[in-house]
Amino acid sequence: MVSIKNLHFSYRRSKVFSGLSLQLEPGFVYGLLGKNGTGKSTLLRVIAGLLFPDQGEIRVAGQVPAKRKPSFLQEVFMVPEEFYLPDVPLDFLLRYQASFYPGFSREQFDRYIREFEIPSGNTLQNLSYGQKKKVLISFGLAANTSLLLLDEPTNGLDIMSKSQFRKVMAGALNEKKCIIISTHQVKDLENLIDRITIIDEGAILFDQPIEQVARRLAFRISYDNAEIAAALYSEQSLKGSAIVSNNPAGEESKIDLELLYKAIVHNRPGIQSAFNA
Amino acid sequence: MNEIFSFTRWFRLVRKHGAGHGRKYLLGLLAVTGIILIWFLFLVLMQGYQPLSWPVQVGTYFVVLFMVGCLFGSSLFSDLASRPRGINYLALPASQLEKTLCALLYGVVLFFITYTLVFYLADVIMVKVANSVTYARWLKNHMPDEVYRPQQVVNVFTDMLEDRHDRPNPNVMALLFFFSIQAAYILGSVYFSRFSFIKTTVSLLVLSLFIILFLAKLLGAFMPDGHFLDGLNQYSVSTSGSEEQVILLPDWVNTVFWAFVRYAMAPLLWLTTYYRVREKEI
Repeated sequence: MVSIKNLHFSYRRSKVFSGLSLQLEPGFVYGLLGKNGTGKSTLLRVIAGLLFPDQGEIRVAGQVPAKRKPSFLQEVFMVPEEFYLPDVPLDFLLRYQASFYPGFSREQFDRYIREFEIPSGNTLQNLSYGQKKKVLISFGLAANTSLLLLDEPTNGLDIMSKSQFRKVMAGALNEKKCIIISTHQVKDLENLIDRITIIDEGAILFDQPIEQVARRLAFRISYDNAEIAAALYSEQSLKGSAIVSNNPAGEESKIDLELLYKAIVHNRPGIQSAFNA
Repeated sequence: MNEIFSFTRWFRLVRKHGAGHGRKYLLGLLAVTGIILIWFLFLVLMQGYQPLSWPVQVGTYFVVLFMVGCLFGSSLFSDLASRPRGINYLALPASQLEKTLCALLYGVVLFFITYTLVFYLADVIMVKVANSVTYARWLKNHMPDEVYRPQQVVNVFTDMLEDRHDRPNPNVMALLFFFSIQAAYILGSVYFSRFSFIKTTVSLLVLSLFIILFLAKLLGAFMPDGHFLDGLNQYSVSTSGSEEQVILLPDWVNTVFWAFVRYAMAPLLWLTTYYRVREKEI
């Protein structure tokens, strides 16, 4: 679905990517994590054809995004972090915008709007920021594009909305669709993503399927000093220490994405060694 | 699927643009009508005799056309100035050619037609008002042998001196010049993300100055002292004697130059706009 080879990209003064390679397949939800300013949004915009790489090859569904051909654009939908929706009634979007997406389903859109509890009959301008975002996410999902790019989708959503978001997203995936969610709010992606990709300083810091992470690493609270000392990563919490350790038995453990993220940032070689073993 | 141009997709785009911007455009047209009406009313009240003469009507038509047309042109691609709007615009599944043609349809073709209609609407009304006012004044103040001449709604595209058939119609020239200048403002709206109207105006002034200085310097360097006579293909050389020396170039030089200025400038700038939109990153 998305094939990136040796991607180089820089803004006028600062280099963002130098030699990034990534392969993403349909049927999965990818979580793109990283600190602010590490290039997550830039990568999404390069994939969407909104930015052009300086060097390297990028193909999305066999097409070159930078050409922005209609057949490519109707297969990619992006929900940017800062988005724009015109001041029109909800029906306008369906009447005038939906027709550009051959796979758009009105029935699906109505279902998502109901699940997100968006009041109908309002113009979009009368909706709150979070509601507008949910409209855009609903539209993106109902457009049924092969690739859905979500940049910080849970920013501005309240607690209930975040839970609605996870529920909606969980039911939206199919074998033909690839969803990439970029966020720094790792907790919002728990139980949602199939593969975790962490970007730092323009390079892939970590890229593993969630299933593999659950088998190779163990996440738990420990009071045992020896265990804490031997852990790949540990941090003090109110109840003992939260640790990430090797999982030699291969028993599936519940992943704490936030802890995993910190462990990778602080002890990348240690975490990587668990996957090389 | 045709990746360059599809009528179905283009009509969808035109429909969407119309539905999204229709109210704004309608308000803009009302504002323009109001400005013309107020200006004409001001003239009727302030000027006793022939307040809406030929030069006033034609002058108003072209001055407002240039001002509003260039202002509108400089906002045509304003979506590209902000990232959220720009993403919404560039990610819409239509080709760049369709998007550019849609913008040109609204910004050039429909603008010109609706502006002309709106101008004539205001013009017809105000000529009638002006005639009633001036007729009342004439009844009150006229000399015995003075004949009342009502004012007419003029055709702004005809030459005032109709017998001047050997020269191009200056009004049509002004119209062609407008399309070129407006095209520069449309291109400016893609190039400059902020204050595009002001930046394009400054750029055009700097460019004009540069061309004038460059030509003066360049020509001065290898041409003898003298001046152009009638067109670019006749150059009169200053001599100390009484004999006049004229350098003549083939007529086609003049014809090609003016044909380019009149007919090719605007399309070339539109084409540049298309390529600029195509390579726009956001």
